[in-house]
Amino acid sequence: MQSLPIIPVPVPVLRLPRGPDGFSRGFAPDGRRTILRPEVGEGRIQDPPESQEQRARAVLRERYLRSLLAMVGHPVSFTLHEGVHVTAQFGATDLDVANFYVSQLQTPIGVQAEALLRCSDIISYSFKL
Amino acid sequence: MAMRQTPLTCSGHTRPVVDLAFSGITPYGYFLISACKDGKPMLRQGDTGDWIGTFLGHKGAVWGATLNKDATKAATAAADFTAKVWDAVSGDELMTLAHKHIVKTVDFTQDSNYLLTGGQDKLLRIYDLNKPEAEPKEISGHTSGIKKALWCSEDKQILSADDKTVRLWDHATMTEVKSLNFNMSVSSMEYIPEGEILVITYGRSIAFHSAVSLEPIKSFEAPATINSASLHPEKEFLVAGGEDFKLYKYDYNSGEELESYKGHFGPIHCVRFSPDGELYASGSEDGTLRLWQTVVGKTYGLWKCVLPEEDSGELAKPKIGFPETAEEDVMFSSISIFSFSPQHA
Repeated sequence: MQSLPIIPVPVPVLRLPRGPDGFSRGFAPDGRRTILRPEVGEGRIQDPPESQEQRARAVLRERYLRSLLAMVGHPVSFTLHEGVHVTAQFGATDLDVANFYVSQLQTPIGVQAEALLRCSDIISYSFKL
Repeated sequence: MAMRQTPLTCSGHTRPVVDLAFSGITPYGYFLISACKDGKPMLRQGDTGDWIGTFLGHKGAVWGATLNKDATKAATAAADFTAKVWDAVSGDELMTLAHKHIVKTVDFTQDSNYLLTGGQDKLLRIYDLNKPEAEPKEISGHTSGIKKALWCSEDKQILSADDKTVRLWDHATMTEVKSLNFNMSVSSMEYIPEGEILVITYGRSIAFHSAVSLEPIKSFEAPATINSASLHPEKEFLVAGGEDFKLYKYDYNSGEELESYKGHFGPIHCVRFSPDGELYASGSEDGTLRLWQTVVGKTYGLWKCVLPEEDSGELAKPKIGFPETAEEDVMFSSISIFSFSPQHA
C-alpha cells in the first residue's frame, strides 16, 4: 500500500445538509415548526441506535462509492437536461458528489480537455466495466 | 492535530446564488433564505443547512431575499418587476408588490410592519404591510439603479446604495441626510445594529463606516475584487468573498488575514455570518450555497469534533467521516475518492 502524505484532517460531519426532494415545495404541511431539541448546538448529538434501514443505507452508500472508484479513468456517457448526451473520461468527484471532474469531454461543439459537470444537471450516466 | 475546514454544501439551486440572509434566533433555531437566478428562493435551517421549502411564484431571477427577525415572513425582490412577501412558515405567498422595473433589494422593519424595496427604477419604496392596497411612499434622488437598501437606526433611517453612491435618508422627513461617493462600483452593503456599523465593499476594499454619520471607521484591502463581506456579531472577525472564488477571514481589530478557503467553483456573490456567529454562509456563481465554520473543528450543527481516542495512532492516515456510514473499510476507500477531488488537489 502506497504511503499517504500527512495532511490536515477535515472536520468530520454527521451528515450532509438535506436538499429539496424534487417534487414538493416543502414546508410543514400544517404550517407548524418543530421546536429544536435542547442538545442541538450544545454538545454532541447522540447517534441513534443502528436500525435495519440504516444498515441498508450504509450498504447502498458503500456500493455507490465503490462504483465511483470503478469508474475512474473510464469513458462514461452522461445524459443531461435538454436532451444533451456527452461522453467523457471520469476523473473524480468532490466530497458531497456535487460535481464530477472529467476530461476529454466530447460535446456537440468539440472536445473540452477538462471540465466539471454539475451533478444536478445529470439525469443518468453509464459506463462499461 | 491540524483540522481543515469542511464546508457544508447545500444543494437545490441550479443557477447562481446572488443573495442570502439569516433570520434572528428564534425558539426554532435560526433560518437562512437564499435568492437565486433560478427564480426559486429557498428557506433552510440555519445551523444545518437542511432545506425547509422553496418559495414558488416568481417568473424571473430573484435578486434579493430577506427574512424578518423571527422568521415568520420572507420577502424577495425579482427581475419580474415584483417584490413578494411570503409566509415563511407555510411557504404561502402573502403579497405581490408590482414595480415598474427590476427589483433588486428588500428589507423589513424590525416590527415587520413595513417593507422597503429598491431597484433599477432608482426609487426607494416603503410599503405598509398592514395596508396592502395603499400606494407606497416613494423616495427619489438616486441617479442609478439601487442595489441595496436597508433600514437602520431602529428604523428611523434608511441606507441605500446605487452604483457608486451610498445615501442615508431620514424616514420621518423622507429626505437625504448624507451621502458617500466612491470611485468604484459599490458591490454590497451590510448594516450591523449593535454599534451602528455599516460594511461597504467596492473594488478590493472592505470599508467600515458609522451608520449614523457615514464617517469612515477603517478599511481593509483584499487580494481580489470583493463582492460581499460580513462582520462577525462579536466584531472579532470579518469574512469576504469575491471574484477569485475564495473566502477570506480577517481579524477585525488587527486587519490580519487569518484564513482563506477555496471551495467554490465560481465567483462568490454573497457572504453572511449567522446570528450566533458560529458559521458563515456563502452563495456563488457555481450555484451552491456553502456553510463554513467560524471556529474550525468546534462541535456545532453538523460538524463533529474528533475525540482523542478517535485519532490516536492514526497520524499517517486521514480519517474522513462519510455521512451515513461508520464502517472502517468504507472510510478507507473514501480516502482514494477524496484524493481525486479537484478542490483539494
